[in-house]
Amino acid sequence: MNFEKLISIEQMEAATNSLLETGAKVGADSWQQRVENQTPHCKFGEQGICCRICSMGPCRITPKSPRGICGCDAHGIVARNYLRFTAGGSATHSDHGRSIAHTLYQASADGAYQVKDPDKLLKIAGEWGIKTEGRDIYDVAHEVAETGLMEYGKPFGNLRFLDRAPKHTQELWDKAGIAPRAIDREVSQALHMTHMGCSSLPEALIKHSLRAGLSDGWGGSMMGTEFSDVLFGTPKPIDTQANLGVMEKDMVNIIVHGHDPSLSEMIVFYAQDPEMIALAKANGAKGINIAGVCCTSNEVAMRHGIPMAGNFLQQENVVLTGACEAIVVDVQCIFPALGPLSKCFHTKFITTSPIARMPDSDFIEFSDETAAEKAKEIVKLACENFKNRNPDLVNIPDLKANARVGYSVEAIKKCLDGVTNSHVDELGTMMPLVDAVKSGVIRGAVAMVGCNNPKVRADYSHIELMKKLIENDIIVIVSGCSAQAAAKAGLMDLEAKDCCGEGLRRVCELVGIPPILHMGSCVDISRMMILATDIANDWGINISQIPLVGCAPEWMSEKAVSIGNYVVATGIDTFLGVEPFCEGSEEVIELLRGESGTKQWVEANFTVEKDLDKMCDLMIETIEKKRAALNI
Amino acid sequence: MALFERVFRGSDEMFAKAEAEVNAIVAKVGRDAPLNMPNTAYYLACIYAYIGKKVTTTGELQDALQDVKAMMLREPRTKSIFWSGVGTAIAAEMIEACKYVETPTPYEGTKYHGHFSDAEVRELGVPLVTNDIPGFVVMIGPAPSTEEAVEIVKGYQSRGIFVFLIGGIIDQMYEAGINMGFPVRLVPVTDEIWGVGHIISLVTRTAMIFGNVQPGDWDGFHKYTFDRINAFVNAYAPVADITVACGAGAIKLGFPVITNDTDDMWSVPKSLVINTDTKDWIDTSLEARGIKIKVTKIDIPVAFSTAYEGEIIRKADMQVEIDGSRVDCFELVQTKDATEIEDHKIEVIGPEIDEFPEGSKISVSYTVEVAGKGMQTDFESVFERKFHSYLNCVEGLMHTGQRDMIRIRISKVDYEAGFKFKHIGEVLYAKIMSDFDTVVDKCQVKIVVDAEKNKELRAEANKIFDKRDERLKSMTDESVPVFYSCIMCQAFSPSHVCVVTPERLGLCGAVSWLDAKATNELDPTGPCQVVTKEKCLDERVGRYEDVDEVVYNLSHGALEHVTLYSLLEDPMTSCGCFECICGIEPCTMGVVITTREYAGITPLGMTFSEMASMTGGGVQTPGFMGHGKHYIASKKFLKAEGGLKRLVWLPSELKEQIRDKINATAKELYDIDNFADFIADETTCGTGDPEELVNYLAEIGHPVLEMEPMDI
Repeated sequence: MNFEKLISIEQMEAATNSLLETGAKVGADSWQQRVENQTPHCKFGEQGICCRICSMGPCRITPKSPRGICGCDAHGIVARNYLRFTAGGSATHSDHGRSIAHTLYQASADGAYQVKDPDKLLKIAGEWGIKTEGRDIYDVAHEVAETGLMEYGKPFGNLRFLDRAPKHTQELWDKAGIAPRAIDREVSQALHMTHMGCSSLPEALIKHSLRAGLSDGWGGSMMGTEFSDVLFGTPKPIDTQANLGVMEKDMVNIIVHGHDPSLSEMIVFYAQDPEMIALAKANGAKGINIAGVCCTSNEVAMRHGIPMAGNFLQQENVVLTGACEAIVVDVQCIFPALGPLSKCFHTKFITTSPIARMPDSDFIEFSDETAAEKAKEIVKLACENFKNRNPDLVNIPDLKANARVGYSVEAIKKCLDGVTNSHVDELGTMMPLVDAVKSGVIRGAVAMVGCNNPKVRADYSHIELMKKLIENDIIVIVSGCSAQAAAKAGLMDLEAKDCCGEGLRRVCELVGIPPILHMGSCVDISRMMILATDIANDWGINISQIPLVGCAPEWMSEKAVSIGNYVVATGIDTFLGVEPFCEGSEEVIELLRGESGTKQWVEANFTVEKDLDKMCDLMIETIEKKRAALNI
Repeated sequence: MALFERVFRGSDEMFAKAEAEVNAIVAKVGRDAPLNMPNTAYYLACIYAYIGKKVTTTGELQDALQDVKAMMLREPRTKSIFWSGVGTAIAAEMIEACKYVETPTPYEGTKYHGHFSDAEVRELGVPLVTNDIPGFVVMIGPAPSTEEAVEIVKGYQSRGIFVFLIGGIIDQMYEAGINMGFPVRLVPVTDEIWGVGHIISLVTRTAMIFGNVQPGDWDGFHKYTFDRINAFVNAYAPVADITVACGAGAIKLGFPVITNDTDDMWSVPKSLVINTDTKDWIDTSLEARGIKIKVTKIDIPVAFSTAYEGEIIRKADMQVEIDGSRVDCFELVQTKDATEIEDHKIEVIGPEIDEFPEGSKISVSYTVEVAGKGMQTDFESVFERKFHSYLNCVEGLMHTGQRDMIRIRISKVDYEAGFKFKHIGEVLYAKIMSDFDTVVDKCQVKIVVDAEKNKELRAEANKIFDKRDERLKSMTDESVPVFYSCIMCQAFSPSHVCVVTPERLGLCGAVSWLDAKATNELDPTGPCQVVTKEKCLDERVGRYEDVDEVVYNLSHGALEHVTLYSLLEDPMTSCGCFECICGIEPCTMGVVITTREYAGITPLGMTFSEMASMTGGGVQTPGFMGHGKHYIASKKFLKAEGGLKRLVWLPSELKEQIRDKINATAKELYDIDNFADFIADETTCGTGDPEELVNYLAEIGHPVLEMEPMDI
C-alpha cells in the first residue's frame, strides 16, 4: 500500500511543535500545557458517579457510600449524567438548526440570504404538505421555515422528518417509546427527568437519551443541514486544500471558526469584494485568503472550496502562525483560550454570537438582518490589521494536501449514476453501492465522525483507522473534525485510492471519488442517516443489517454523545474511542453496550475501545458478521 | 454461493487442469523439452508479463505452477479474486502451451486459431490508434440461437469491434457460414475456456510492445490494460465457475463482463453487468467499457465497417472487376470552386453494374471533387490515400492499389444485395464529409464507366499525378520550412514520438509529411504539431535543438535527444506499429531489414518478432530502429551511417515492392545500377547464418564491403 504520499501525523506534530516554540517566545498558553495541568482528571467525574444536581451534595459514590443523600445509586447517577450530557448536545445542534431556520425565514430575493437550492426547498415542502404550486419561492421558503420552527415546540405529534426513516425503524421507535415529539420538549424533559427527585431508573433515562438524540439527528440537525442546503446550495464535489499550509504568507488571512454557515458565507462573499481586495492591497497584502477551522470550515469547503486550515485541536495553531489577521467565530467548540492567545499576536479574535461570548474578544454581533454590513466590517478590520503583523513571528508550516469534498447524499447518488448501465440500471439510487457491497468488492462502510480529544493522540486515531479500513476495502464516510483529519493527511485526494485494497481502489477509480467521503459538518451527520435509509430501502433490508458501523474515536463534546445516541437509535452499531463517563455503572454499560438495552430496542449498541487496533478489528468483525448474516 | 467463492472454485479448477496437463507433458517428454510458442519473442507472454519468468522448457513450465498457485490468494478481499482471476488466465495459458510442446501448429486443420503471433499483435497497433478498432469483445459460450449469434457478431463487426470467440458460438458461426479469421477481425480462438490464455497473452504483449511495460511489473500491466485496452467480455448462460474465475481476471484488467446468467451471479457496477436481454448486449457492453463509436451513416445496401477491411474477394465470388492493370481506371481528388459543386451529387456516367455480364473487367474512374475555405491542393493526395481503406470497409468489396493502378472486386453477394457503382460514390462522399469536415464544405463524385472517355481522362489524371510527384520530389527535408511531430500512438505507447519529415515518413507507414501537415491543419491542437527546424546542431545525423525540445516535451521527459538520420546515435524511437525494423548486422557492417509480413529468420539469427522486441514502446535502442517501408528508398535513410548502401538483406517480397525506388536512389546517390540485385534475401540467405550472408555479399560484390566500418 502506498501511504508515503500522505502527510504523516509526525509531520503534523513537528509543525505543531515549531509553532509552540513561537508560542513560548511570546508567552502564550497552549492546550498541551493545560492538559498537563489538568491531569489526572477527577476519577469520580470520569466514572460518572459524581452528582451535583441538588445542593444536598455534591454526592460521590464509593464502595463505602453506595448511595447519594437522596438514595440514588450509582446506576441512576450515571444514567442521569449521561442524559444531561446528551441533552446538552441535542440542545446545541438543535439550536443551530433553529438559527438556520430563522435565516431561511429572513431570506428574500434581494436580501443577503437567498434560496440557492429551490429543488430541495420544494422537496421539503412536498414532504410537509406545504402548497407550492403557483407560489413565489420565497413564500414557500417562509412557510417551510415557519413550519420547521414549529417543530421545536409543537404541542402534539412526532417530528415530521421521522417519516423519512425506513418503516421498520419507525416501528422500532414507536415500540420503544422513543419517537421524538417536539425538539425542545425532549431537551426540556431530559432536564426534568434528571431533576432532583425524578428519574433514577437507568432504563428510562437511557431510553430518553436515545429520544433526545433522535430529536437532534432527525430533528434539529436535519433541519440545520436541509435548510443550509436550501440557502447556500446542496454540496457537490469540489476541490480544495487542507492543513496549515493553506494560510498565505503574503495575504490577509481570515480564519472562520465555529459551526453556523450564515456568518461564514457572508465573510466569504465579502472577501471577494473588489473594494475589500483593494483595501487589503492598500495595507500591503497581496489579497485576502479565507480559511476555515472546525465545522464552519467544513461548511464553506463543501460549498465554495474554501481551504481547511485545521480541525478542533488546531485552532490555536492558526493563531500561532503569526499570520492570522482575524479569527472570526460563531458558535460551538471555540476555545476561550483564543482570547488571551490572540493578545500575544496582532490577531483580532472576533466573536459574533450572543451564544458564544468570550473575554478578550472583539464582539461584533451578527444577525440575519445586519449580516452584510457586519461581514463587511469584519473583513475590513482584518485587512486593516495586516500592517500590524510582526514578520518575525510568521511561521506557516509547509503542509498542504489536496482534497475533494462535498459528498452530500445527492452528490453521492450523482456519482453512483456515473457507474450505472442505462440498459439495466435505474438512476438516482444507491444500488451501485449496494451491488458493490453485496458482491464483496467493498466489504462495508464506516461512518467516522467526531472531534479531537487530547485524551488520544490528536488525529492519530482518525487517520490510522481510516488507513486500515480502506486497506480492507471498507469505504469511509466522514464529517466534522474527522473529515478534516482525513483531508489534512491527504486521504481525500483522489490519489489516495492507491492506499486502498483493490476492491475499494477499483470503485474509487470507476466512480471518480476519494476513498474517504466528506459529508459535511457535525450537523451533517443527519445526511448519513438519510444515506443509511436510502441504502436500506434500495437494498430491501433494515438499517441494522447493513454492513455499516459508526465510529467516533476522538470525540469530546456533548454534541458527540447526542450524535452517538441517534446513530445507535437509527440502528447503526457505534464504536467510541473515549469513555462517555459511564464506567461507574455496569447497568448503564449493559444498556448501552450489552444485548439487553439499546440492542434490543433499536438493534444496535455502543462499543467503547481505547486500543486502536482492537477497535479496528472489532469494526471489521462486525461488518463481516453482518455480511455473513445476509449470506453475502 | 457468494461471488468470491465461485471465483475461488473456478480458479482451483483451472489450476488443477493446468497441473494435470503440465505434469502429463513432462511425464511424456521430460523436463528438458523445448517449449517455444510460435512467432513470438515473449515466451509464454502471460507468465513472462506477470511473473517475469521466461519459460523455454517444459521443466520451467512445471516450475511456474507454484508461482501461479501462490497468486491464488483466498482472503475475503477483492485482491484475492483479482489475483486468482489473473492466475486463472495464466493457468489457461499453461494448458494451451502444453499443446505446442510437440508441434508448433496444434490447431492446424481445426476450426480454431489458437496462439496469436507477435506480427498479429503489432498489426493491431495502427487500427487501435486510429480508432478503427474501437474495442475488443471476447464472446464465450453458445448464444441462445445461431441467428442471434450471427446478429450480435455482425453487430460488433459493423462497429469495428474486434471479436474473439471461445466455445459453442464458434460452431454457430460455422453453421451460418460466416467468414472468420484474423484479417476480418473475427477469430475463433478455441473451443475450450483455456483459450482465454491466448487472448490475455495478446493483451500482455500489447502492453509490452506498445507500452514498454516491463515483465514483472504487475501494476504497470494493469494500469496499461485498464487505461488503454478497450476490451470486454460477453459470457452466455450458463456461466461455469471456471468462467467466473476468468471473468475476475478480466475485470482486474479493466475489462467488464456482461452476462445473462442470473443464477448465483452478482452484479458489480461497470464490471459485472447482468442483462438478460442478450439482444441488447452490444450497447450494454459498449456503455460498460465506455466505448463511444462515431458512426457514419452511409446509404448503401451492404454493411460498412473497418472489420471488412482485410476481407479477400476470390475470383469465384466476384461479380465484376475494375482492373487498372488491364483497362483504363483511376481514382482522383480535385479541389474546385464552391460554385462548381453541387453537394452530395453522385453522378454515374455510363452503364450501371447490372448492365455488365458476370466476370467483366470494366474501365471505371471516380473523381471526388471538393470545395471548402480551408481546402488546400496538398490535401488531395491525403484524401486519395484514404480511399483504399474507405472502400475496403464495404462488406464484399475489395480495393487495392492507388491512382491509375487500382483494382476493385465487387462480390456476387454485393451485386445481389443491390450494390451499384453509385454506392462507391456514396461511400466516398460520406467518409470525406465526416473525416474532413473541417476543410471540406461541399463534395460531389463523378463516376465514369466508359472505356473511351476514361482513356482520355486517365491521361489528364496522369498529368496531375506527375505534377504532384514533381512537387513531392522537390519536397526535401531542406526545402520545407517545418517538420511535424506525430503522437497518434501515444494512446498505446505513451512515451513515443515520431518526427515526420518529407524524406522520413512515420514508422507506421501511414503518416507522410503531407498527412501530418493536413492533420495539423485539420486539428491544430491534435496529434500532429509543428516542429521548427531553426537550430540545427549536426546536419550529418540530423540533430536539431528544436526536435530535441519537442521530443522531450511530448515524451513527458522520457527522451532527451533524437536524431533524424542515424541508427546509432540517438535513433528515433518506435511505438510498436512500425512496418519494418532494421538492425545492424555486425559481420558485414550492413543493415538487415525485415517486415511484419515475413515470419522467417533474418541473418541476424532473429525473426521480425525478436528484432521488434528489441525496440518499441518508445524505447531508444541504438542499432535497432522501426520505420516505414517507403523510408528505405529515401535519400535520408541511415544518412549518418552512409545511407542505403548499408542495406544487405531484405525479405524478397519487400525487395520487389521497392525495387525500382531503391535502384533510383542508389543510382542518384552512389551511381550504382540495379542496387537491388546486390541485396540478399531469404532465397539466397535464408538460414539465419551470418556466415552465409558474408559469403553471398562477397560473391556478388555488395558495395557495403568497401565502406568504412560503423562505429558500433
